Amino acid sequence: MRATQDRVAPADAGECAAILAQAGAEGRMVGIGGGLTKHYLGDAASLDIELRTTSIAGIVDHVPADLTVTVAAGTRFADLRAALARAGQFLPIDTPHADDATIGGVIAANANGFWRARYGGVRDLLIGTRVALTDGTVIRSGGRVVKNVAGYDLNKLFVGSFGTLGVIVEATFKVLPIPAAEAGLIARFGTVSDAFNAAAIIARAPARAEAVVVERQPDGWDLVVSARGDDKTVARAVADARRAAGSSAESAAVGDRLVLARELPARAVEGALVRAALPLASQTAFAEAAARRDTFRELVADASSAVALPACVASHSKPTGTRVAIALIIPSVRRHASASTASSLSSSRVRPYSATASTTASTNEIIVSTIETRMSGTCCPMLLSFSATSRGATNCVVFLRIFSMSVGSK
Amino acid sequence: MRGASLVRALHDLLGPAKVLGTHDELLIYEYDGAVDTATPDAVALPETTADVSALARFCHEHAVPIVPRGAGTGLSGGAIPVEGGVVVSFARMARILEIDPENLRAVVQPGVVNLHLSTATAPYGLHFVPDPSSQKACTLGGNVAENSGGPHTLAYGVTTNHVTGLEIVLSDGSVVRLGGKAIEDEGYDLVGTFVGSEGTLGIVTEITVKLTPLPEDKRTLMAAFPTMDEASETVSSIIAAGIVPSAIEMMDQLATQAVEASVSAGYPLDAGGILLVEVDGARDGLDDVREKIEAICRAHDASTIRVAATALERERLWAGRKGAFAAMGRLSPDYYVQDGVIPRTRLPEILRLVKESGERHGVRIANVFHAGDGNIHPLIMFDLRNGPDELERAKETSIEILTACVEAGGSLTGEHGVGMEKNCYMPLQFAPADLAAMRRVKDAFDPAGLANPGKVFPTPGRCREFSLAARR
Repeated sequence: MRATQDRVAPADAGECAAILAQAGAEGRMVGIGGGLTKHYLGDAASLDIELRTTSIAGIVDHVPADLTVTVAAGTRFADLRAALARAGQFLPIDTPHADDATIGGVIAANANGFWRARYGGVRDLLIGTRVALTDGTVIRSGGRVVKNVAGYDLNKLFVGSFGTLGVIVEATFKVLPIPAAEAGLIARFGTVSDAFNAAAIIARAPARAEAVVVERQPDGWDLVVSARGDDKTVARAVADARRAAGSSAESAAVGDRLVLARELPARAVEGALVRAALPLASQTAFAEAAARRDTFRELVADASSAVALPACVASHSKPTGTRVAIALIIPSVRRHASASTASSLSSSRVRPYSATASTTASTNEIIVSTIETRMSGTCCPMLLSFSATSRGATNCVVFLRIFSMSVGSK
Repeated sequence: MRGASLVRALHDLLGPAKVLGTHDELLIYEYDGAVDTATPDAVALPETTADVSALARFCHEHAVPIVPRGAGTGLSGGAIPVEGGVVVSFARMARILEIDPENLRAVVQPGVVNLHLSTATAPYGLHFVPDPSSQKACTLGGNVAENSGGPHTLAYGVTTNHVTGLEIVLSDGSVVRLGGKAIEDEGYDLVGTFVGSEGTLGIVTEITVKLTPLPEDKRTLMAAFPTMDEASETVSSIIAAGIVPSAIEMMDQLATQAVEASVSAGYPLDAGGILLVEVDGARDGLDDVREKIEAICRAHDASTIRVAATALERERLWAGRKGAFAAMGRLSPDYYVQDGVIPRTRLPEILRLVKESGERHGVRIANVFHAGDGNIHPLIMFDLRNGPDELERAKETSIEILTACVEAGGSLTGEHGVGMEKNCYMPLQFAPADLAAMRRVKDAFDPAGLANPGKVFPTPGRCREFSLAARR
């Protein structure tokens, strides 16, 4: 990581916008960071200013009976969790790095865990944002109400935008009461298809499990299920899951196990990580394809939402040259996945954190080129002009290094 | 290009069978479910995406506005060609292209009627969750354009939470695919940006939606309260008890009386406020939750509590709610419906304000709405036979109500859209910088400004009067 020239931590939205406006005017690149928990996603674009949101922190408004909370974006997820818990509520996102991640980073990186099918993902729970733009303005989208169709839903644009459109300074989420009971179950399968077949049944069961995770093990595939709700519903969820999973299923406290699975990206910092969002029924073929590659000895999948994370961690691979290996592996996984499920995968997207890790393309160019392809070259460069001071064809100002789409390799 | 020459040109482009252009034909397309009207220069009935693309390219070349229309049930004038041009009807693009139970997805054309999709997927034990009250008529293309809701959004979310892929035609005729069957896509969430854009970013020609397993069972109960205050407080207490029902609907006495006369759903006529509460999911825990809800209703002085014992009884209770807007015809020849949203704890005060505002302006107001979401629907009655003054008073009342909603931290619209009905009010809710950001998104998708012009954003001509009034 190249040393940055300036580090700033604005105290509020206005100061943040002023810094962006000035940087834009001077043509300086700004990297945006919260807790820096996802720095491993970063690409090495040159950076003039590192802007941290950590001073823009605190609960802005929480009316428990409204089931909404408004929070400053630099607030640590853990602090929000604690504040909500005091009112018996929770924000139902089991985001990775929850102890140090900030709210803004969770949104910018679209950092979902395994609960998405049960409660919705970041995009579904986020109902309002305030964002500082590079023209020095601070804009508000959505609001503090759970239904709102006034104007465009710009909240959606910011989820997963990796800071390329501005700095998120405040967010409002839907929250829920903390369920009374919880239980879990683990089952071991010899084949990947058995594991995903059981997962598919459990994911559709009426008592709605909270997490249905398939995890590659050295000698098989584990299915990890958690359920939360009232006593009777949880008991039912576990009973149904046990029936679907068969004889190897055992009741277990799965909390720690799921945390470990969720933190796979961090363990892959020195290795490689691919994030693939798939059609539900393509998971088996994709996991098989990934498992055939020696490099991807680990794989964790949110089987109810079909988001699979094949990874290699440092101990499996040479610390040097990983970057090149990844560049070779990603297209190969992509090819395997699509070749083995030609028809059903045709509308899917294999989503690597970066397709061009070993090239010289900057993060910004990756994003622009992805979207240019998609929108016939007209629409999205203009969307990027959202960030106002464009400095050339593909070089629109806000650049995000710390939360960027890139393979985990330093 | 407008008028007869436009109709002739479209005949050449698409063939006469896909174009309507006589005076009588066009009259049918001058209105939707709201109160504003405008006559199109021509109506196109495309049968394929290629038709839509050719049409958009033509309109782009000749600077003709292009306005998509589903079933015309919209309640904000979204399908009204306020600046003239071509209305694009999706009556002939109404096929379910694929039901994919393995992936819990369906791929549909925009003209498919909302309820028809759930009917078609029921044999697989699946349904499409958003269920607007107009679901027997409204189309999925319209649902995408308006980000429609319905009674069951409280637990399951609105249209945007159930769409994963779109094919859209931009106003220059280019065809773009966004998303697909997977839960997310690389790059920006343009599917999420497009849903709810009211036809102003482009025209949707194909939709990939999530299908959800039908709940194993449901419990539906109706509770009658002496006043609306008790009914509203019950809503807050249910939520405070940690219960999130799949639906909580509320109705006042005026609405109840109209509904009973129309569909006899079995609501008590003497109640000041009625709640319809539904919980669903796995059978096991449902009765416990229902008992808790009943106890809360009783603690708030519910006079009658009726639990649907059969599917038929449940349907009857819901028939009252879903038929409520139609039943208003018994009270008044016309009504103006508003769609404001407030944080749900502010319900009692906003309902008092609605009442006072109606009394002050001398208009009758019935209330039928999604209480669990804080999404109110005051039905402000008027009779044009008594002169245009009544509609004006209805509009003044609604501005007062919407202003109060925004001041309470809410929104101008929860599910009906801004359209041409509330675009002048947008500055009540959004600062100039907020609207400027939305405008940049509009310009990115539709730089020529031909996609459903005159909607969502305040227009200098039509909104001048309102801004003058606001300044006074």
